[in-house]
Amino acid sequence: MVRQLLSVFASLLLALTASATSPQELAREIDRLIDANCPKELQADLINESAFIRRVTLDLAGRIPTASELMAFRDSDSLTKREDVIERLIESVDFTFHHRNELDTLLLRRLEHNDKWRGFLLEATQENRSWDHLFRQIMVPEDGEDTRPAAFLRKRLRDLDSTTNDSSIIWFGVNIGCAKCHDHPLVEDWTQEHYYGLASFFKRTYQTRAGSVGERFDGSINYTTVYGESLKSKFMFLTGTTLPEPDLKLAENELKEIAAAIKKVEREDKAPAAPRPEFRPRSQLVEAALSDTEQDFFARNIANRLWARMFGRGLIHPLDQGHSENPPSHPDLLDVLARDLRDHGFDMRRTLQAMALSNTYARGAHAVDPPPEKLFASSLPRPLSPHQYSLSLLIASSDPNKTLGLESDLDWDRHREELERRSESVARQLEIPEDGFQVSVTETLWFSNHPQIQSDYLQPRKDRLVGFLTSLESDEDIVRTAMRSVLSRDPSSEELEAMTSYLQDRTDRRDDAIGQIVWAMFSSPEFRFNH
Amino acid sequence: MQPSNLHRLSQWPCQDILFCLTANQQGNRIWFGSSDAGVYQLDLNEEKPSRQKLQGEGHTSYVTSIANCGHSLVTGGYDRKLIWWDAESGNQIRRIQAHEKWIRRVIVTPDSKHVLSVADDMQCRLWDAATGQQVAEFTDHAEMTPHHYPSMLYAVAVSPEGSHFATGDKVGHVAIWDAQTLQKVAELETPVMYTWDPKQRRHSIGGIRSVAFSSDGRRLAVGGIGKIGNIDHLGGPARLEVFDWHSGERQLELEDTKWKGLIEQIVWGPDDQWILTTGGDHKGFTTFYDAKSGELVHQEQQPGHVHALWHDDAYESLFLASHKQLSHWSMREKEA
Amino acid sequence: MNASNNPSLSRRSWMRLAGTASAATLASDLSGLEALGSPELSQSLRHSGKRVILLWLAGGASQLETWDPKPGRATGGPFSKIQTSVPGIEISELLPKMSSRLKETAIIRSLNTKIADHGNAYQLMDTGRIAEPSLKFPHLGAMIAHELGQRDSQVPDYVSMYTSTEGRRQGTAGFLGGRYNPMFLTDQMMPANIKRLERISDVDHRDRAELRNLMASIFERKNTHPMYDAHNSAYERVRGLMASDHLFDIDREPQSTRNHYGPTQFGQQCLIARRLIEAGVPFVKVARAWWDSHGQNFETHQELCADLDHCMAALLDDLKSRGLLDSTLVITLGEFGRTPTINGSLGRDHFASAWSCTLSGCGIQGGTVFGKTDEDGQKVAEGEMNAGDLFATIFAALGIDHHKEYMVGSRPIPIADFDSEPCHDILV
Repeated sequence: MVRQLLSVFASLLLALTASATSPQELAREIDRLIDANCPKELQADLINESAFIRRVTLDLAGRIPTASELMAFRDSDSLTKREDVIERLIESVDFTFHHRNELDTLLLRRLEHNDKWRGFLLEATQENRSWDHLFRQIMVPEDGEDTRPAAFLRKRLRDLDSTTNDSSIIWFGVNIGCAKCHDHPLVEDWTQEHYYGLASFFKRTYQTRAGSVGERFDGSINYTTVYGESLKSKFMFLTGTTLPEPDLKLAENELKEIAAAIKKVEREDKAPAAPRPEFRPRSQLVEAALSDTEQDFFARNIANRLWARMFGRGLIHPLDQGHSENPPSHPDLLDVLARDLRDHGFDMRRTLQAMALSNTYARGAHAVDPPPEKLFASSLPRPLSPHQYSLSLLIASSDPNKTLGLESDLDWDRHREELERRSESVARQLEIPEDGFQVSVTETLWFSNHPQIQSDYLQPRKDRLVGFLTSLESDEDIVRTAMRSVLSRDPSSEELEAMTSYLQDRTDRRDDAIGQIVWAMFSSPEFRFNH
Repeated sequence: MQPSNLHRLSQWPCQDILFCLTANQQGNRIWFGSSDAGVYQLDLNEEKPSRQKLQGEGHTSYVTSIANCGHSLVTGGYDRKLIWWDAESGNQIRRIQAHEKWIRRVIVTPDSKHVLSVADDMQCRLWDAATGQQVAEFTDHAEMTPHHYPSMLYAVAVSPEGSHFATGDKVGHVAIWDAQTLQKVAELETPVMYTWDPKQRRHSIGGIRSVAFSSDGRRLAVGGIGKIGNIDHLGGPARLEVFDWHSGERQLELEDTKWKGLIEQIVWGPDDQWILTTGGDHKGFTTFYDAKSGELVHQEQQPGHVHALWHDDAYESLFLASHKQLSHWSMREKEA
Repeated sequence: MNASNNPSLSRRSWMRLAGTASAATLASDLSGLEALGSPELSQSLRHSGKRVILLWLAGGASQLETWDPKPGRATGGPFSKIQTSVPGIEISELLPKMSSRLKETAIIRSLNTKIADHGNAYQLMDTGRIAEPSLKFPHLGAMIAHELGQRDSQVPDYVSMYTSTEGRRQGTAGFLGGRYNPMFLTDQMMPANIKRLERISDVDHRDRAELRNLMASIFERKNTHPMYDAHNSAYERVRGLMASDHLFDIDREPQSTRNHYGPTQFGQQCLIARRLIEAGVPFVKVARAWWDSHGQNFETHQELCADLDHCMAALLDDLKSRGLLDSTLVITLGEFGRTPTINGSLGRDHFASAWSCTLSGCGIQGGTVFGKTDEDGQKVAEGEMNAGDLFATIFAALGIDHHKEYMVGSRPIPIADFDSEPCHDILV
């Protein structure tokens, strides 16, 4: 089945013309292939400027726009202002933090909060390190001096199944966990042979006391099929390609010495480096996965993941179900994106930029009867990630005249770094949204009643939004300013009336009342989601 | 008689847990109680000694204590019964329901006229050794722990002249009694023996497991276990406290973190030179302390948790009843 | 849970409803968001009024000192067994109160769940299946909350109390989504953030929430998605939950009732559980930790069994006298049992090959024993059950079809694990 699937991909690839040269061209290609699948009348209209700047700032800077960024964008007469802002955002310090946070969430989940690892990822996003480069660094950390990327393997090594499954899901978009005990019940592609084939690449990996990893000279997996047959695993990639292992030409006593040396580095901080085998299964896996003939899983996975980040669902969805019985909604588009990534050195920034430039990205929502999500005819809501949410609360609750944002704040890089730091503790308390995310009552009770919400976001202090609002005289100004800061738009007359009358009913406790209308904005779904 | 002379003469591995033992003065005939509810005799004069079960209705649960009254033996167990046995014939003489809960310890007074038993009903009962009649009962021990769970009364001892008794319970409370009037004449507290874990596991462990008067009767040694971090295991220091019980002064407070666990039994050496403690966790120990300075004099690790020890009057011959093992030791100088 | 966002699937479920499809296929599409999205449909499927209290014996209680005594055997330990109120059924003498109340309770003596380390066994016994690295299975409480809870309930629908820190794990709704996560109580018996800050008056707190609702409804005029509905529903439940704070306050119970449950923390938490159940909370877990008696097993069980015996009996009595026991299933379960072999510290170690649990009340044929272990308790001799079978039995007792499936992506996940069967012998 896999082979059939691949031959279909291959013929499709051949049919394509040369890949796009600029992000703009790639964006047009995205729109062409989306439009081809969706009648025009089903497509939602493009969103307005305010909605666009909010969406794109959340996606590329990991936060809502400041009021001053919002106004600057709205006031600009430039015909290329959307393109310009996308370019500026993707080159900003904001992007490096945001992209780092996204990669951290993808790679390490919450297995641990590891500042050194996060530092490593930040350096990578700062220099726009390519995805295949990161793959090599993270999966074969012992090839470099830097032990920080070893955190990915280190946190999983205790359990071969976790290492195998997580690696497969994260790097190849394939969940073969079900094939461990029996051939996958629903997906013909995945057999026990695949599962143990992939697991065998990790079987020899061990962790060193000093925090890196190494590989033994031997070790394979014996498993039993549901028919009771006992088999020895091969080094087999998802495509079915197996890698031959050269015979080990070492005497027993040599093997013993090596085993002793490995035991030492496993136990001792400063043990001399253990010998490394010539045949190193993990490196073999990485090189095989990146080779021209086997690269599809790797390339399509990252293309699909970046797409899902920007559009709310994958072209292959769920993201870990890349197999023949769950075909992509837009196979040609996925191939274009995967190929473009390959042709441009797995430059994720380029892909994200192209996606943001597309009209597909800028569509609004349907008020009623939305067409199937997989058509991408309208925008899909995306819950803010813990960092997006926490940062946006900080930005929105700041004095709009003092937190200016990109361009207007000459010292923005430093200011942004401080915001990143300040957002951390709240971000860590929040749930990482998964498919079908539902805000829990734990969160809504917390947001309704926790003293920290009051003190961090609603206090009428200097430097804070509520403090600034209390200095304004007109209720309408208060509401309008608050709306721009929090929801990045102007209030409707209905909203204006409701909120000004809320304030007028509370002239005896005006400061509190202002905090309350700001709370109502914060707790609206309009703030909690990117839409 | 030097602690450092301690060496093993023989051992008898078995499948059951041995909780108590005693022997005749010659030390060639021993009796012990088992987790299989049996009371056994072992005659060392035989060429190949093999354990013989004493006959009778017997106990129905763990036999936890045995007192040697000379012509008769008295055993107590978790079945709440005291049983009198004829030491010579091994026949059961008398079987009485002695307590409401588990019997933890049975001892005999130096004149062999009375037997004392303590149990988890928190009572100490005094029995006529000859007739089995209950003479009195007394207690100073609360039925519940401060945390609302049933407490336990593990330990009882009589002074060498027979003038005083001491009882010690799970939460670390010790009462000293006038043997004539059965009035409480002193009390001591050893709270460290009891570990209540309010946070991680929410139950308790520990307790006073042994008490012993010095040969002059003035000092009282109290044994158990010190504070335990993880109360899933007996991973606390073996703890010994020694008091001048008249004044209440705590003279020694010793903890051994090398060989951990409960101190199940305490023996004062000749002229109160040293104190021998024995007990354990998964493994066992026999540890000698200098009775004045508290200095650790000598120590042996035992393969299994030691539940009881018997010694002859000369302190030359010792038997240990342990987890799945019985062993015979000597403190005489080894012959060349 | 993506399939539930798919309108075509949703339509299919309606069509099935119109036809004569079984509840199982129908329900397959009714998980998570979709259930929220179509309240009429889901409400009609609710099994009204059924409740569950899980008494969680964390760390692993000994079956030999509770429900499956073996006195007289080398493995049996020192305790004897006692006759219960049901002729022919004997349990450990450590449970005298339960022995006289066994008519409401079924004992299962034949669990063989194989996994004997705390972490994985906990996963197994709280989800009814072996964990998979990449799929978060919902815990029992979340499934019950999902099946029995009311969408707009003014009370929490999954409350979990676990005070001791050892072995404390929160529990998760997994792929069912945060709506079904537990309200988790640890240090205090009052849920976090359930009290209004003094700074804001009740009127302002309410009006502020109404202003929020208005903002949300204006937004949703132009934006529809089940995730927005879930968000709103979580906010709309805040005021109701705040109003349910009294449920956690046992000072409101008459002193006689409080005495009935006794002074221990476990007893107080059982009383809170009863108050919650009475108010309509579908699932309450009360964890009693920590039974992991590697040393001094018998002393430990004297304490913990005294607590269990008293509190479980008090709870069953109270539920019965209030007429709640017929609709409330009380599960007494841990992650595994303990070894028949007694170690040198007079302890028992982890053991998952032949152990026991009980089910009482709703849907259960009381006064029964299912399954048997061999004479030393080393192996299951009759009626072997695994975690999936136990879960199937629990669902069946509550009238939930154990074949029901949740869809996770394109993958159907049966509510009780593949190939599991309820134990009909103990069901009414």
